[in-house]
Amino acid sequence: MTTRAILTALVAVLLALGLVERRLERTAAAQAKPGVVAPRFEVDPLWPKRLPKNWVLGQVIGVTVDARDHVWIVHRDNLLGANEAAASENPPTASCCVKAPPVLEFDPAGNVVGHWGGPAEGYDWPESNHGITIDHKDNVWIGANVGTDAHLLKFTRAGKFLMQFGKPGQNKGSNDTENFGRPAKIFVDARTNEAYIADGYSNKRVVVIDADTGKFKRYWGAYGNKPDDTSFGNYDPNVPPIQQFRTPVHCAELSNDGLVYVCDRPNDRIQIFTPEGKFVKEVFVAKNTLGDGSVWDIAFSKDPQQKYLFLADGKNEKIYVMLRETMEILTTFGAGGRQPGQFFAVHSIALDSKGNMYTVETYEGRRLQKFVYKGLAPVTKMDQGTVWPK
Amino acid sequence: MQRTLTIPAAALAILTAGALAPSAFQAAPTLQVDPLWPKPLPNHWLLGSVTGVAVDARDHIWVVHRGYDSMTARTEIGAATTPKTADECCVPAPPVLEFDAAGTLISHWGGPGDKYEWPVSPGGIAVDGKGNVWIAAAGPPDIPGSANASSRGRAAAATTTTATTTGGAATAGQGRGRGTTPAPPPKPQDAHVLKFSRTGQFLLQIGKAGAPGGNDSTTALNRPAGVAVDPTGAEVYVADGFVNRRVVVFDAATGAYKRHWSGRQGAEFGSVSCAKVAKDGTVYVCDRANNRVQAFDKNGAFLKMGVVAKDTRGTGSVWDVAFSNDPQQRYLYVADGHDQKVFILRRDTLETVGSFGDGGRYPGTFYSVGSVAVDSRGNVYTGETLEGKRVQKFVPRGAGR
Repeated sequence: MTTRAILTALVAVLLALGLVERRLERTAAAQAKPGVVAPRFEVDPLWPKRLPKNWVLGQVIGVTVDARDHVWIVHRDNLLGANEAAASENPPTASCCVKAPPVLEFDPAGNVVGHWGGPAEGYDWPESNHGITIDHKDNVWIGANVGTDAHLLKFTRAGKFLMQFGKPGQNKGSNDTENFGRPAKIFVDARTNEAYIADGYSNKRVVVIDADTGKFKRYWGAYGNKPDDTSFGNYDPNVPPIQQFRTPVHCAELSNDGLVYVCDRPNDRIQIFTPEGKFVKEVFVAKNTLGDGSVWDIAFSKDPQQKYLFLADGKNEKIYVMLRETMEILTTFGAGGRQPGQFFAVHSIALDSKGNMYTVETYEGRRLQKFVYKGLAPVTKMDQGTVWPK
Repeated sequence: MQRTLTIPAAALAILTAGALAPSAFQAAPTLQVDPLWPKPLPNHWLLGSVTGVAVDARDHIWVVHRGYDSMTARTEIGAATTPKTADECCVPAPPVLEFDAAGTLISHWGGPGDKYEWPVSPGGIAVDGKGNVWIAAAGPPDIPGSANASSRGRAAAATTTTATTTGGAATAGQGRGRGTTPAPPPKPQDAHVLKFSRTGQFLLQIGKAGAPGGNDSTTALNRPAGVAVDPTGAEVYVADGFVNRRVVVFDAATGAYKRHWSGRQGAEFGSVSCAKVAKDGTVYVCDRANNRVQAFDKNGAFLKMGVVAKDTRGTGSVWDVAFSNDPQQRYLYVADGHDQKVFILRRDTLETVGSFGDGGRYPGTFYSVGSVAVDSRGNVYTGETLEGKRVQKFVPRGAGR
């Protein structure tokens, strides 16, 4: 199948989903009395399947879905300890378990169908993996977020190295035009072949580069300001918002209608821009959240209008379902915990073509979970908590 | 229950126990995880490292966990720190939790009190025939390999993991927990066993915190890991423990010393992490670091020994044992928190005939499965310590739910 054919098929599916969704919406609206409807999800407690080869996951730090509805994750295999990856010790101290390779590809049924990654000649594997994105050309991008990390990597889906953008240790701050500052996540715009970089864990900006050459095209800070690396101390919800992003700038996602949604994580806010970096508006979420902040990652619903926006909050351990037009929170789901449908540090989210949501957890969560899309449904609870199959 | 019907059979098979040893002429039990047990906890409560699980005569499941002291303050319990860093999520659950068979939380209690010394870190839990609840005080927490903590890149210094105060909601709001500084002064080292009524009323303490005794002491313990009451209810067996290397027996009503024994020459105990009494009076001892189950009569006369996952190093393979629910108790379940499995042994030969589980954070997989218990229907419950922090239920295959 050519890329064009895949895209055509994808568009057809999206259009069909849109029609179905509109029909469901009418039905649901008729049932709900005041009439708020929102996408509803249920966790699939037995997805994915048991990893092969005695593998275990470290902190899962990125998730993306490709045109085949395969789910890709990147995790920090290097942080697995002696108790958990005892069979990777030298000598092994137990029959279980072995560190899984850092990049894993799952088919829709939850089988591992591809795996690669790690240090090799020709590129600088990150000190700390962060953020994974598969683009319209089926290439896989990876961020990097600690120490001297100042670069992005691009591979084929088979793991063949293609490009490195930036050099470790070379970042000169938020106005550098060749390197990044521990970049968190990448979004690639198929229409313009531009990559939007959430930059990052040390820089405080969004950068747009040519996705093939890596040439810097533009960048901006909070409110479209010139980024500034001045430290503003810790976030305080009781003082006026600062005019710069706080690190980490954790996502920068472009909608179909040309708006860039930026995760200004510790500032508990989403800032919205035009693709040129002109500030449009901002919205605060769980404004009292301190420390890691509330705005971790964003994904859009799969209807062509992208009517809904999903926000992952790894501090309050929930997913917010928002109406994108107004940025109003319609409902939330998720809760803290280690059981299916619960989270410890839900870090990244992505949706497949059917609208199913995939979440990954860092720290000691260390899971990839699937939430099955159940269509639009009347909102009966603002906070749904743990969403188990009924 | 209808929820199980929604789970594809093929997916269940993946998580189902498989028989290992063809030498068994009798098929070992096979089990499958119930991924939706227990029900979500109320009040944004979280389980900490689970150190003990037990089943009572009502088939209620009792769990003890390390609560606050096993939580990472910065990332895990934002609603329980000062200042709060999250409005609601999350706070540590009280240290002792009682669930009914359906997984509903029935009661909760535990934490410091005036009349007894709550453990620095709990170990095993047991419920006797009268419904009284026994808890071993096993701290400082047994956290093998400090790499486990440092690998997460947080401020989990040894001083904060070993020197904090209580578990449970009683101290929530004081800003403690792992990853915070400064640590309060160290509490006296655990060297005791506690007995409560099922509603949490204090009844008895054997031994005293900060006053450990050696392997010959008749009054003192040293970091006892596990506790069990014999089927008659007369005597309590203490696995003593993470420092001492012996089993000690006390009168269950008065706490009076009765007897004790250590391993015999050539088969000395490593850390003694459990001592459980079968209906026929045989005492099974977890000789954890040596990968062995050792069996004795009630007076400590050696009967036999079985080796489990013999190549296991590090923390060893035999963390806890439980008996199958059939009248003969034909099988022993052995929780192996290092190989991340529950092994099934024939009780008559101590030969391994099966296992279930594997490493991971998913239903049916484990991180540090350190405790195991069985109810009257043959359901197996497991508790995971360190960062596992779960209690899971495994249902006999083919059994109706």
